[in-house]
Amino acid sequence: MLLREVEYVRPASVEEAIRLLAGSDGARALAGGQTLINVMKARAAAPDVLVDLADLAELRTIAFSADESLLEIGAMVTSTELASSSEVEVARPILAEVVSTIADVQVRNRGTIGGNVCVNDPTNHLPPLLSALAATFTIRGAGGERTISAGEFFVGVYMTAVGPGELLTKVSVPTRRPGTGDAMEGVTLGAHGTYIVSAAATVGPGGARVAIGCVSSVPVRATQMEGRLAAGDFSEGAVRAAAEGLGASLDPPSDVHASADYRRHLAEVSAVRAVLKAAERAKG
Amino acid sequence: MATTPATSRAISVEINGTTYEREVPASRLLVHFLRDDLDLTGTHVGCDTGSCGACTVLVNGQAVKSCTLLAVQADGAAVRTVEGLASEDGDLTALQQSFSDHHALQCGYCTPGMLMSATALLERNPQPSEDDVKIALQGNICRCTGYWNIIDAVVAAGKGGAA
Amino acid sequence: MTAVEIEPGTLQKGAAIGQSVPRKEDKRLVQGQGVFVDDVKRHGMGYLHFVRSPYAHAKIGSVDVSAALELPGVYGTLTGDEVAILTDPFFQISSPPGAHVKDYALAVGKVRYLGEPVVAVVAETRELARDAAELVSVDYEPLEAVVDARTALAAEAPLLHEECGTNMSWEGVYEWGDLDAAFAEADHVVKIGELHFHRFNSTPLETDGALVEYNRGVGQWTIHTNNQFPGFAGIMMGPALRVGIDKLRFVTQDIGGGFGNKITTHPQLVAACLLARKLRRAIQWTEWRTDFHQSMSHGNERWFQDTEVAVKADGTLLGFRTKAIDDAGAYLRYEPLGGVIWAQVAAGLYKWRNIRLEFTQAMTNKAPVSPNRGYSRMQQLWFTERVIDIVAQELGFDPVEIRKRNYVQPEDMPYETPNGCVYDSGDYPRVLDLALELVGYGSIEERRREAAARGKLLGVGIGSTLDSGTNNFAQSRLINPELQFSGNNEVATVKLDLFGEVIVTLGTTPQGQGHETTAAQVVADIIGCSVDQVHVRAGHDTYWNSHAGFSGTYASQFAVTGLGAVKGASDMLAGQMKQLASMVLQCAPDDIELGEGFARIKGVPEAALPFMALGAIVNMNNAGFPEDPPTLNCRYVYRPPFELPDLERKFGNLTLTYATQIHACVVEIDRETGVTEIVDYAAVDDCGTRINPRIVEGQVMGATAHAIGAALWETFAYDDEGNLLTPNFYDYHVPHALDMPPLKTAAIESPSPFTPLGTKGMGEGGGGGIHCICAAIQDALRAAGGAIVSDSHNPYHRVWELLRDPEATRANVEVVSR
Repeated sequence: MLLREVEYVRPASVEEAIRLLAGSDGARALAGGQTLINVMKARAAAPDVLVDLADLAELRTIAFSADESLLEIGAMVTSTELASSSEVEVARPILAEVVSTIADVQVRNRGTIGGNVCVNDPTNHLPPLLSALAATFTIRGAGGERTISAGEFFVGVYMTAVGPGELLTKVSVPTRRPGTGDAMEGVTLGAHGTYIVSAAATVGPGGARVAIGCVSSVPVRATQMEGRLAAGDFSEGAVRAAAEGLGASLDPPSDVHASADYRRHLAEVSAVRAVLKAAERAKG
Repeated sequence: MATTPATSRAISVEINGTTYEREVPASRLLVHFLRDDLDLTGTHVGCDTGSCGACTVLVNGQAVKSCTLLAVQADGAAVRTVEGLASEDGDLTALQQSFSDHHALQCGYCTPGMLMSATALLERNPQPSEDDVKIALQGNICRCTGYWNIIDAVVAAGKGGAA
Repeated sequence: MTAVEIEPGTLQKGAAIGQSVPRKEDKRLVQGQGVFVDDVKRHGMGYLHFVRSPYAHAKIGSVDVSAALELPGVYGTLTGDEVAILTDPFFQISSPPGAHVKDYALAVGKVRYLGEPVVAVVAETRELARDAAELVSVDYEPLEAVVDARTALAAEAPLLHEECGTNMSWEGVYEWGDLDAAFAEADHVVKIGELHFHRFNSTPLETDGALVEYNRGVGQWTIHTNNQFPGFAGIMMGPALRVGIDKLRFVTQDIGGGFGNKITTHPQLVAACLLARKLRRAIQWTEWRTDFHQSMSHGNERWFQDTEVAVKADGTLLGFRTKAIDDAGAYLRYEPLGGVIWAQVAAGLYKWRNIRLEFTQAMTNKAPVSPNRGYSRMQQLWFTERVIDIVAQELGFDPVEIRKRNYVQPEDMPYETPNGCVYDSGDYPRVLDLALELVGYGSIEERRREAAARGKLLGVGIGSTLDSGTNNFAQSRLINPELQFSGNNEVATVKLDLFGEVIVTLGTTPQGQGHETTAAQVVADIIGCSVDQVHVRAGHDTYWNSHAGFSGTYASQFAVTGLGAVKGASDMLAGQMKQLASMVLQCAPDDIELGEGFARIKGVPEAALPFMALGAIVNMNNAGFPEDPPTLNCRYVYRPPFELPDLERKFGNLTLTYATQIHACVVEIDRETGVTEIVDYAAVDDCGTRINPRIVEGQVMGATAHAIGAALWETFAYDDEGNLLTPNFYDYHVPHALDMPPLKTAAIESPSPFTPLGTKGMGEGGGGGIHCICAAIQDALRAAGGAIVSDSHNPYHRVWELLRDPEATRANVEVVSR
């Protein structure tokens, strides 16, 4: 509803932002604010200091790595920017496709890739997608910079490896190689609504990567399914057989939108659909 | 620029072409700054979770929910609200007229937000399709009309020329 | 979407009536110049924030506001103890046991639902009021909660209101015809174990609110608010505050949607009134969305148990018996009127003559219910539509044929139902045919096959519904014979002003229905001027003296009561204008005609007086008349023709008009996920004479959208502890633009023989969309196990359950055949 009293600061550099975040236990980074401000309105969290990253141009770039194997996306890049980026279109169009289904235009104009992954709400779009894409996450703090995998980055509900006094600076997504296809499937609460269950899949020469969202505190890789698909048979029968037991291996929550059983079922169905679609795209 | 933490700030915001300089608490949402501090009550509050879009305004040309933006974040920005659409003499824009022509409003509470989202759309995409319009208005809840007439109104405004 | 215009009615229309005149309201609303309650400001006003119960059921121990009062900028507080001293409990509509409920503006001694206001805090800014609320300390002793009306009725259930001795608020048995004979004659008896209509509401985009000022010198409150039934609010608030009704001035202008959900705000308004008096400043209250979801105006949840339907071999429905259990929530704010209002449509659209319904209402630890779009009739109509679809499926009848066989026919109109209600006019078979045509019913089987090839189950469904309008409030006596309510009324004034302007005031409180426009259309045609020359004041104000006891905008009645009053006042004014003109022009009044802004002698165009001349004469130039000229300031009270019902037999006419809406839709269900998509939709309406067809269509569309939302996504679901699981728009998903199916509409006009203009009230819509979506889902599932849809709410997970275990719902239905 309304925020408690809070201090606000808008630093001019990443170093200054890190210094401010390290300077107080109650300091939080403010990116697009689409989650944080609503959390503060509900008074579910009350940071003492908001460190607004809006002026940090360094975090707003989209560029290829030197060897063009990665697309490096600044943490403050918005969904709208991702959706209209020619680099994304060329390198990994699934990103644009998926962010275009996040909520609505207003949210996409402000919401950032950094915010979406750092919030790590189990229903968020990007954590499972980036897990499937084998993205890496660069975190900078006073002690320096490190780059880690999705499995290391997503730690728990609303928790990531970004510690106090640290900032996620960029997300690096492998550029799509020939013979690779990506897809994200699932069931949402209404069109472009919140996910009830999501599944992201990448199919390529090396096999498949499948990550399920909304079923645990972090995106879950369907490792058994991936193992069965390593042989490279992506026919419908093979994919369905590969997915068998995926639901039973999960322990998803029950809530007003879905029972645990229904989520288990949707996880299997969505994983199959995502892999089949990704495989189809890998051909084209 | 704000480089030391403070609980309130002096901000300068351009709203519908007029620059306002005010001291505001950091905790104040842009929508309350508009409505309570500046008496621009055309922008409405319909929820407390950033879900309904009744508070939609344009910030630097982009549609945003002013309930999910702090007033201090708008420091230095150019904001447009529903009050800035019609001319000083009350000449409605083609979009506003199209809303009335198509019965795209009943209670009128969602209407300012709808108009701002649609204005942003038409400025980017002067002749949007029905699907383009639905996507642009997806973040604006209406409980009276069912959206059908609103979508028709925006499509028609597009076909008619500049908004 | 396409709108198809079918044969406008036979009423002779003037230049304005019957035309889709652009709305007068639009100019201000598209510029953001509407005045909604949160837009109203007063110097020095204090912002009110309610401290609300975090428990569904608890005793209140101590309440400590001292820390809140110490915060700079806090003006004061109000607690339940103060309320209990300063006010009397709200009047209870119910007979015992519900009559014993003690209901106050704040919780007194106990809280009975999550979100119940316990303390009110007022501060200089919104933020401070919110901050101060956190400093209020309340000691609760949690109690066990009961959240299911069925278990609330059990003897061992936790008791909400000790004074009642039971959680049952009201019960009554309705029986008409001869049930024994009907069941003896039946060739088949279809038994349905349990049907469930769920709890939801219309979530108007503007929440409740008020700006209350107190004039100490005359003891007068001015309440700027968006309450949509000031007549009812006054009846509740006056006695509670121990003041006469005239001490409560209600002022509304623009209201951001009501749908019935803004009728029962009197508790919060009383709290604001007390604070305005206590703190000697204006009090501003705007409800938060979460608070609205948690605490306000849920619709009636209702079970229909042990239903038995008597059917003949040819598909004729002879009658039914059922037991309805209704959930009123924690307090009775407009209840138990829901216990009789359903009877307006007891028979639905059907001709069966033998009906028995045992109605039992229970109180539970959930938000108190209030009228919600389609109030109580929607639940009954959903029941009749489920019955006819289940009977059709079980006995192998075609859903269209069985409806046409059993519909009340146009030649039967006006038709008296078994309980004495009179359906005024209508042609249900014709409306049904139009809906089916628009939804492409003829090609359904082909579409079904095509969808199956894509892995989708396709189904088509019909939802017939009636929008009964203009209540006879005497029906409240069927709930409580001691009540002194009956009939209905609405008021309008129409005057010719000094400069010839035609000025209209209404008693209504529109929330988007376009009253300013439709009223102006009626006035313009009767007075003889253009719509632009008629000025209708926006909103409602007690001080206009343009209201009566039942004034407000609710229950689909404006087109009858409001416009009836407008017509009456306009007729009076027209007569007076002719009389005055005849005095001036020296002829007989019958020689005068009014048109184009002039009063003139018929056939003598140069003998004409402009309206301005007439207005000037009565206002400022009235010497020299041999007798008093008329005032040209006319006030008319419209009273619908009603009798008192027979309380013994529960028999009588409860509503004046019955608009028809028949909806048809096509759905596709994903076999693997249960996700249901509406792929085609038609809504056909018949509300008699349409003053402004476009406004009528807008109401049909809105009702459709609400029904789609409720059918697929919207539910106020609680856990066992009484926590609301859908307290905001994240989890309570309402339809957005991308969720809407393609829509086709059409209309016919069967004028009502009972109303001044042949109009019928419309707007609520009767929930037709819920009925047809349920029917379509059931139809789609015939190819996948034949589950029976027995719940009004069918989100994806429920449809998946129906796919996964059709037998569970099939077990709910039994056919006993001769």
